[in-house]
Amino acid sequence: MQSATLLKLLKMPAAACGLAWATWAAPVHAQATETLTEWDIQVQPVPSRIVAEAQARFEKANPQVKVVRSAILNDPYKTKIKIAFGANEPPCVFSSWGGGPLREYVRAGQVTDLSPYLAKDEAFRERFVASSFDTAKTDGKTYGVPAENTSLLVIYYNTELFAKLKLQPPKTWPELLQAVETLKANGVAPFALANKSKWPGSMFYMYLVDRIGGAEVFRKAADRAPGGSFADPAFVEAGKRLQELVKAGAFAQGFNGLDYDIGSSRRLLYSGKAAMTLMGSWEGATIKNENPEFSKKLDFFAFPSLPGGKSATGVVGTVGDNFYSISKACKQPDLAFNLIKAMVDDTSVQARLADNRIVPIKGLKVTEPNQQRLMAMLADSKSVQLWYDQDLPPKLGELHKDLVQSLFALSVTPEEAAQKMETAAKAELH
Amino acid sequence: MTSSSISLALPVARRRRHLAARWAPVFFLAPSVALLLLFLLYPLLESFHLSLLKWNGLGANGIFTGTDNWVQLLHDTVFWHALGNNLLLGLMSVLVQLPIAMALALMLDKASRGSRILKILYFLPLLFSSVAVGVVFKNILDPNFGPINAGLHALGLDALAQDWLGDKRYALGSVIAVICWQNVPFYMILFLAGLASFPPELHEAATLDRATPATIFWRIKMPHLQGTIRTAAMLSVIGSLRYFDLIYVMTGGGPDGSSEVMATYMYRTVFASFQLGYGSTIASAMFLVVTLIAGFGMRLTRRFETQV
Repeated sequence: MQSATLLKLLKMPAAACGLAWATWAAPVHAQATETLTEWDIQVQPVPSRIVAEAQARFEKANPQVKVVRSAILNDPYKTKIKIAFGANEPPCVFSSWGGGPLREYVRAGQVTDLSPYLAKDEAFRERFVASSFDTAKTDGKTYGVPAENTSLLVIYYNTELFAKLKLQPPKTWPELLQAVETLKANGVAPFALANKSKWPGSMFYMYLVDRIGGAEVFRKAADRAPGGSFADPAFVEAGKRLQELVKAGAFAQGFNGLDYDIGSSRRLLYSGKAAMTLMGSWEGATIKNENPEFSKKLDFFAFPSLPGGKSATGVVGTVGDNFYSISKACKQPDLAFNLIKAMVDDTSVQARLADNRIVPIKGLKVTEPNQQRLMAMLADSKSVQLWYDQDLPPKLGELHKDLVQSLFALSVTPEEAAQKMETAAKAELH
Repeated sequence: MTSSSISLALPVARRRRHLAARWAPVFFLAPSVALLLLFLLYPLLESFHLSLLKWNGLGANGIFTGTDNWVQLLHDTVFWHALGNNLLLGLMSVLVQLPIAMALALMLDKASRGSRILKILYFLPLLFSSVAVGVVFKNILDPNFGPINAGLHALGLDALAQDWLGDKRYALGSVIAVICWQNVPFYMILFLAGLASFPPELHEAATLDRATPATIFWRIKMPHLQGTIRTAAMLSVIGSLRYFDLIYVMTGGGPDGSSEVMATYMYRTVFASFQLGYGSTIASAMFLVVTLIAGFGMRLTRRFETQV
C-alpha cells in the first residue's frame, strides 16, 4: 500500500545511519554477520541484567550473531510494539502477555508458530509446567515461551493493624464484610485501590466471577461455547458483590481517580490509612524495595470464598508472566528460537528465582517461605484465570475495564454491565 | 557589429532574468510545499481513507466498510459526550483564562519596576511539561494526602473536601481548573505584547482629560486590544478542541468516562482497543469539528473587523 512506500521513504535516512554505523563498527564485530533484534519490558536493573547476560551467553555460543536489544517501559512498549507490527517492522523476538493482544498479531499472520520447534525439542518443552503455555496458544498452536514469572492475585494486609484490631485474615465473604465493618469503625479504610488505570479494580471483579461461577463461566463466555454468556448470572452476581463492597465503604476515598503507577494505593498502606490491597504477587517485591520497614508488617491471604460459590481455590493471575515470541518478519527463526532458549536457560531461571520471580519450570526449588505459599496456592488450584483484559480481544478487554470502573462508580447496574458486555461479545467474537 | 551583438544580447539576458524571477519562487517554495504535502496533506487524506476501513492496524489491510464507521460515530454516545466536554473546556477557557490573563497583564503592565520577576513567576506554569504538571496536581488533588483537602479540613470546611479526580461529578472541573492554571500565562504574554504597543501619548492625553482608570481601560485600551483578544479566544477554543496530554495523565478520561475528550477517546480506541479504522474516524471528525469552528470563528472575526 501507499503507506508502505512512505515508510520506506522515511526509513532511508535511518538505513543510511545504520550503514554508517555498520561500517564503523565492522572491525569490532568482525565475525558477527547476522543480527537478531529483541524487544522486552525488563527495565528494572536486576531483571534487565538477567536478560542481557543470557543474550551475551548466546552471542558467545553463536559468534556470527549480534543481538540488538531494546528494553522498553511497560506502557510505552504496548504502543511501540503495536506500531511496529502495524508498519510490518516488528523485532525478531518480542515479549507479550499472551492472550488477546498476542492473538491479534497471530491472526494477522505476523507471529511464527512455535509448535514445530517445541515438538522437535521435547526436552526443552518438558521443562515447563504444562499449563504455562496455555495463554500463548491460539487454535491449538503455541506462539510464545513463558519466561519471566508466575504472578498470582492475593490480598496483602497490614499484620500490625489486624493484630491491634484482633482481626483474622477473612476466609469467607461474610468474614470479609465483618472485617470491613471493624476497620471502618476504627477509622481505617479497609482496601487501598488505585483504579484510574482500571485493571486494579478489574481484579476484584475477576476473582468474584471465579469464586461464584468457577473458571468455566468466563472461559465458556469468551470462547462463545454453548451456554456461555457474559450475561450469565455469575457475572451479574459478581457485579452485585462488587457494589456491595463499594456501598459498605470498603475502599479508601478517591479510588476511581488514584493512580497505581505513582504509588497512590501503596501510600495508603504505608501510612496505615488503609489495611489491605488486592494485587499481583509482584507487589510484595515492590513494597520490599520501596519501603523495607513496612514490608516487615506485610502478609497476604487468598481471596475469600463466596457462599454458594463454585470455586474456593481458583486463582487469578498468570503462570509465565511475559512470553517471548518470534515474528514472521524474522529472517532467522531458528536462531531466534535458540536465543529464546538462552533467555530461559537454567542460569537465567536461577537468577530470576534469586530475584523473587518464579519461572514456571518443573521441579524448581523454591525456598523463600512466601514464594512457597504462593506455589502451594497454585498447586491447590484447579485453574488459573488470566487477566480478562489480556485474555479477551483488545476491544472487549477495554470495554470490560470501562464497565468495571462504572460498576465501582455505581453508575451502572450489574445487570446492565453484564448485558453490555454480552452484546459487545456477540458482535466481536465468532 | 559589436553594437548589434549587444542589442541582441540584452533582451536575452533580460529574458533570462525574467525567467529566473518567474521560477525562483517555485524553487524556493518547492521544499516546503513538498514537506507540507508529505507530512500534512498525506496523513490527513490517509486518515480519512482509514476511517472507511474496519482494521486493527496490523498486517494485511483492513476491510473496506464504506461509511459504516461514520454511521457508528453518529450513534456513539461516548463521542458526543467527549465533544461536549471539549466544547465546555473551550467555553471555560475563554471565560476563565482570558479575564485572568487580562487582569495579570494589566497589573504587570502598570507595575513597571520589579515586574520582570513577577513576569517570570507567572510565566512558569507554561514552561513545565504537561506530564509533570499532571503528576504534581494528581498529588495536590489526592483526597487522602493532598494539600487541598488537608487545607479544607484544617479550616473546618470538611464538607468542601471532595474526591477531586475520582468522583465523576468533579473530575472534569478539576482538570479544567488545572488546564486554566497552565495556560493563563500564554494569554497573559499575548495581552502584555498588545499593551506594549499601546501608545503612551494616548494614555497621557486621557489622563489630562481626567479619564478614570476604568474609563481608560474600557474605552481606550479594550478597543485597542480587540484584535489580540479575538486571536486569544480563537486560539483557546481551537486548543481546547484538540486537548489531550493533561487529561490523559490526570484522569485518562475517567472516572467512568466523565472527563473523556475527543483526543483521549481516539487514543484509547486506536492504541488500547486496536481499532485503527474507527479511531481514524474519530480523528477525522475532530479535524472536521476544529476546521468548522475555526472557519466560523474567523468569518465572525472578519465581519467584526469590517464593522469596527
